[in-house]
Amino acid sequence: MLPLEHLQTTMARSVLAMEPMVSVKMLTAGKADPLARLRIYQNNTRSSLTAVLVAVFPVTVRLVDERFFRYVASEFIRRHPPVESRLARYGAGFPRFLKTIDTLSDMPIVAETARLEWAIAEALDTASLPPRSLSDYDKTDLGPSPDILLQPSLRLIVSHWSILSVWTAHQQGTAVDRHCTWTRRPERVALWRAGNSVRLVLLDRADFAFRHSLKHGLGLEHAASRAHALEPNFDLVSALVRLFADGLVTNVRITVPPLSN
Amino acid sequence: MSRAFQPLAIPASAGIGLRSPHISEMLTRRPSAGWLEIHAENYMGDGAGVEALERLRQIYPLSVHGVGLSLGGARGLDRDHLERLRRVCERFQPDLVSEHLAWSVADGAYLNDLLPLRYDEEALAIVTRNVETVQSTLKRQVLIENLSAYVAFADSSMNEAEFLAELVARTGCGLLLDVNNVQVSAHNLQYDATAFIDALPADAIGEIHLAGHATNQVGADTVLIDDHGSRVPPVVWSLYRHAIDRLGPRPTLIEWDTDVPVLDVLLGEAMWADMLTASIMFNRKQAARQAAAAKPRPMPTLLSFESARTSMPVLAAFAAAKARPVMPVALPPMEGGYHAAA
Repeated sequence: MLPLEHLQTTMARSVLAMEPMVSVKMLTAGKADPLARLRIYQNNTRSSLTAVLVAVFPVTVRLVDERFFRYVASEFIRRHPPVESRLARYGAGFPRFLKTIDTLSDMPIVAETARLEWAIAEALDTASLPPRSLSDYDKTDLGPSPDILLQPSLRLIVSHWSILSVWTAHQQGTAVDRHCTWTRRPERVALWRAGNSVRLVLLDRADFAFRHSLKHGLGLEHAASRAHALEPNFDLVSALVRLFADGLVTNVRITVPPLSN
Repeated sequence: MSRAFQPLAIPASAGIGLRSPHISEMLTRRPSAGWLEIHAENYMGDGAGVEALERLRQIYPLSVHGVGLSLGGARGLDRDHLERLRRVCERFQPDLVSEHLAWSVADGAYLNDLLPLRYDEEALAIVTRNVETVQSTLKRQVLIENLSAYVAFADSSMNEAEFLAELVARTGCGLLLDVNNVQVSAHNLQYDATAFIDALPADAIGEIHLAGHATNQVGADTVLIDDHGSRVPPVVWSLYRHAIDRLGPRPTLIEWDTDVPVLDVLLGEAMWADMLTASIMFNRKQAARQAAAAKPRPMPTLLSFESARTSMPVLAAFAAAKARPVMPVALPPMEGGYHAAA
C-alpha cells in the first residue's frame, strides 16, 4: 500500500496529465469503471480552470477563437497548474505562455493583449484607497520634493502594439471592425480600479515616465526630471492636476532632507 | 483594515450562498435571507467584492466556507493560505467557519477540485493534525464537510462517516452535513445514504448544505455530478427531511455555483427549506401531544417522492413529512450497508 503522500502525488499527476497513471487496483467505484470515474476529476479540473482563464482573458478569447483558446488553456493548465488555491492569482504566466505557441508566432498582439487583461485582473483584486484632492494641501508646505503615493491598483504597461485600441474595440457596445489590421504602434497604458471597474487611459511617454517614477517611490523631483528629459515641454502642473483629478493620489508625504555635516 | 462588527448569530434556518451576480441586488433590496455564506478564497484580495461584503456583513449573519485548504493533504497545510483564511475571519468575523474532508493540493499543484481520501489511520492522523492546526490558528471550532465522490480507495479501512466521527472525537471539530454530497456519493459508490447520515454524531452537525446535481450517463454507468447547477431535487429534499427529523432544525444553506439563477430562485429554495423544517417540527409537536394524550394516531398515508411530478418538489416533502414513520422511499435500492470502500 502506497504512503498517502505518494498516493496523492500519483493521483494528482493522473488528474493533470489527463491520462490514467493511477493503478486501477487502487480505486473502486461501485459497479462502474474506476478509470472512467477518474476522468470526471480530470474534466472538473480542466474545465473549472479553463473557466477561470476565460473569465480573466475575454478579449484574448475573441482574438483567437474560443475553441483554440480552450486548447491552449488546457495545455497551460497541464504544464502550469495553479500553485495555490487563491484563483484570483491564477493566469499571471498565461500571456508569456501564449508567446511560446507556434501558431501565434505571427500574432504577437494576442499575448500583448493578454498581458493587458492580466493587469486589469490584478487591478480589480487590489484595494482602492480614498483619493486625496489638491485642496487638501492648500495650507501645507510640501517642500521641494514630496513623495506622492498613488493608488496601489495602478498598473502601467508599455507595448509595441496597439493593445488598448484592440481591447477597447472588443468591449460591449463597441462595433468591431473585423477588417481592421492591428498595426505595430507603441501604446503606453495606465489603468487602475475605480469601484467595480477599471479606468484605462493612453499616456504619452513623458507622462508615462512621470507616473512610473512616482509609482516606484522615486519622488516628485526625480519623476519630473525624467519626464522633462523625454519631453522638454512636459507640463508638470498639468500632469499633477490630472493625477489628482483621476483620483490616483492617496497621500503626499513631505520628505525631510538628510542633515549635512 | 478590520472593523468591529456587531456579532450576528446564524439562526437554525435557511441561508443562501452569496454569489457575485447577486451582490448589488442584495445591497439595494436587502431581501429577507436568514444568513449568507461566502467562499473564503473569493474574499482574500482587496477587490470591490470585499468592500461590498463589509456592507452586507452589517446586515446578515455570515458563514465563511473554505474550499482550498486541502485538509487531507499529506504534506500538511499551506501556512500562507491558512494565514489568509485567518485574515478573512478577522476581517468579517463570521459566526461559522467550515472546510472539506478532502485534498486538493499535491505535487506542488492545486487541482481546483475536492478529491477523496483513503480512509485509514494514516489519513486520520494527518487530517487530525491539520484540523487542530486550523482550529488553533483561527481560535475557534471549524465544521468539516463530507465529500461528494466518484471513486473510493480500495485500501480504505473505514468509511467516511466513521472517519468523520473519529475526527470529531479527536479534534472537537463540528460537522457540516452536505445532504446533496451524501446523495451523490451514495449513488456513485453504492451505499445507503440514510445510513451515512445516521452514522454521524448528531450533536456535532452545526450546518447543512443543500444543492442540485446533474445526472450523466456514461455507457452503462449513471453517475451523479455534484455541479450545484440546479434546484434541490426531490431525492435530496427527502434526505434533508430525514436529517432534520433526526437532528432537529439546523442552519441550512442553499448552494448554487454553476448557471446561477436570479436571486429570487435561491431565496425561494431557502424558503422551502424553512417551511419543510417548520412542517417537520410542527408534526413532531403534534405527535408528542397526541402521545401525551395517549390517543392512538391514525395511520398516515405514505407518499413517494418518485411519484411527485411537480415543479415544486418540496411540496411532496411536506406531504411526506406528515407521513410517519420516516420512509426513505426515493432512495435507490442498496446492496448491503454503507461502506465507502465497497
